[in-house]
Amino acid sequence: MAKWGMVIDLEKCVGCQACTIACGMENNRLPGENWQDVIFFTEGTYPSAQLKWFPRPCQHCENPSCMAVCPTGATYKTEDGVVLVDWNKCIGCKYCMVACPYGVRFYTDEKPLIAPDMRKVYPSKDDHSWNPPWKMPDAREDWKHGVGIQPHDVVSKCTFCYHRVSKAPPGTPDLDPQDPKLREFTPACVVTCAPGARFFGDLSNPESNVSRMIGDKRGVRLLDQLGNKPQVYYLTGVGGAVPSNRAIHKKS
Amino acid sequence: MNFTYPKTPGEAVAGALKMFGESHVTATIWKLSVAALAASLAFVFYMLFTEGHAAFNTSSDGVNWGSAIATYVFFALTSSGLTLIASLSMVFGFKQFYPVAKRAIWLAIITLIAGFSVLALELGHPFRMLWAMPLGMQVHSPMFWMGVFYSIDLVLLIVKFYLLWKDDWDSGFSHFIGAASFVAVVLASGMLGLVFGSLAMRPMWFGSATSLFYIISGALSGAAAIVVSVYLAYGFDARKIPAPLRSLTLGDQLPKVFATLIGIVLVFLLTRIWVGLWSNQDGMEGFVALLHAPWFHLEVWVCLALPFLMMLSPSMQQEPKWQVTASILVLVGLFIERLQFIVAGQNVPMFKGTWMNGVTPYTPSLTEWMLVVVGVSTALALYALGERLFNLCAAPKECMEGAGQLAQG
Ligand code: SF4
Ligand code: SF4
Repeated sequence: MAKWGMVIDLEKCVGCQACTIACGMENNRLPGENWQDVIFFTEGTYPSAQLKWFPRPCQHCENPSCMAVCPTGATYKTEDGVVLVDWNKCIGCKYCMVACPYGVRFYTDEKPLIAPDMRKVYPSKDDHSWNPPWKMPDAREDWKHGVGIQPHDVVSKCTFCYHRVSKAPPGTPDLDPQDPKLREFTPACVVTCAPGARFFGDLSNPESNVSRMIGDKRGVRLLDQLGNKPQVYYLTGVGGAVPSNRAIHKKS
Repeated sequence: MNFTYPKTPGEAVAGALKMFGESHVTATIWKLSVAALAASLAFVFYMLFTEGHAAFNTSSDGVNWGSAIATYVFFALTSSGLTLIASLSMVFGFKQFYPVAKRAIWLAIITLIAGFSVLALELGHPFRMLWAMPLGMQVHSPMFWMGVFYSIDLVLLIVKFYLLWKDDWDSGFSHFIGAASFVAVVLASGMLGLVFGSLAMRPMWFGSATSLFYIISGALSGAAAIVVSVYLAYGFDARKIPAPLRSLTLGDQLPKVFATLIGIVLVFLLTRIWVGLWSNQDGMEGFVALLHAPWFHLEVWVCLALPFLMMLSPSMQQEPKWQVTASILVLVGLFIERLQFIVAGQNVPMFKGTWMNGVTPYTPSLTEWMLVVVGVSTALALYALGERLFNLCAAPKECMEGAGQLAQG
């Protein structure tokens, strides 16, 4: 079984947020409900202040605290290492949101993050929380794996595009979007990334490109001190950085 | 007031309806709280049907658990505290506490019901919970165990109340149920603390101290609730209170217990804020925000430190009006505490959204405040019902007589 993971090269990432848009289109996200967000932050002060950024999907942790706290088993980890939410089981208690150190989860029913409220502009007549004019084919929708447009009052998050990745030929070491045969199995954010800063592959295969990059280029994980052990690695090189904490000014 | 035990559910309903036409303190509470409950529930349901949970001000960007969860925690812990107070006489043999035991058990039941009602209205899918939690068996989830222990607790409380209703104070079974519910309630309130305390990524909550704090501060809110309820039952007139109960409330024992509990809670609070302000650890920033919040100072100085001094002062501690004032202040203070603790713990945004560099703001929406009213009015209405129908002042005969002599002697 593969253990899917992602590598994001921050030296290549230009902060264009195409990944955020691609994810939103692929997974029918509400505006602002960015399963894949790009977080901008500043370090230092004038005149040596620096603007930095890093893309933040769900980290699909090896030890997912979201799964550990979930009282129903709605949040679970698949055999191939992807953390998913079963919308048929989720009771909307939001414990997983409180327990995720990376803020990647969203509750369906709250004040719209960006006006107007698209759920009201495109209301749903069935169990879905809304009915946008663009959406993935019904055949791909899969509530057991948290794929598609979610029902009301559940929690949703990045699935590593499970509807694509889970169809990949077994034993594939890397899902490289440059390879036409593998493109349709590769997560949408990886496919769309113009500078090619995102890589997706099997972390359990030491020969995979992602494993090599993590080893050769000293991949780091976000807030590693918390022990969740993300399966998303960042290559910081000379120019990139991930914050070592949540970057809040204490005295503010 | 005359107490007539209803023999059938029909009689109970008739008694409840009759109370609308009566005029005594309990009937007034009943009428007001039923009206408040009807109005607040109607509002909350209207908002939930039209807006859904979007009517809340909670947000994925920061504070996920808001005032509704705080209200649930407030009531659940008050219930646990009341059970601990009942255990003083029924498990540990402090017979002077017998006159409040039945009342404490009833209040424990209804505050738990009030808490669960608010929680059900906050949850996305409360009915799904009923099968998904037992079938899921997620033994590593603190919330799962909280559910298990509070459910056991509620069943044991109802059984115990039934036994007391049947005047069974002393059988082996009654003692067993008492002891079992003491254990259940320590586990339940402790586990509720661990729902927060287990989370290393939320440093303001993290640690087993949260669990201890929940058990002890729960005992304090239980003690405050029982004092208010005793005086309410007798229309705030100490002369009407029967001798055994008077010897408890007007002696120095109750104030001493009360002051001790407030003192411990204050120590917890102040040491927590010390650690929070002193520590440079990432995620502790919420403590700075706390220090700037007027509510926090209201809680610590007015609602806890002041009652602490009142209950230590020899001239005030045995005065009914100061006891009631202190108790009400403590209840208000602990409600603020539940809200602040829960909100401040989530104030540090977890990489949510760009430019989110400060602590995230949160104020409850009108719907959320109405949900608080639902909780409070549910508790008050059920309290009045119990007072009217179930003779909450009952106690074992021997104890009443013995204590009565004591008071006269
Ligand atoms: S990043 Fe958060 S939601 Fe994703 S697996 Fe880790 S703990 Fe769970
Ligand atoms: S909100 Fe849903 S997925 Fe999250 S912990 Fe609760 S039941 Fe589990």
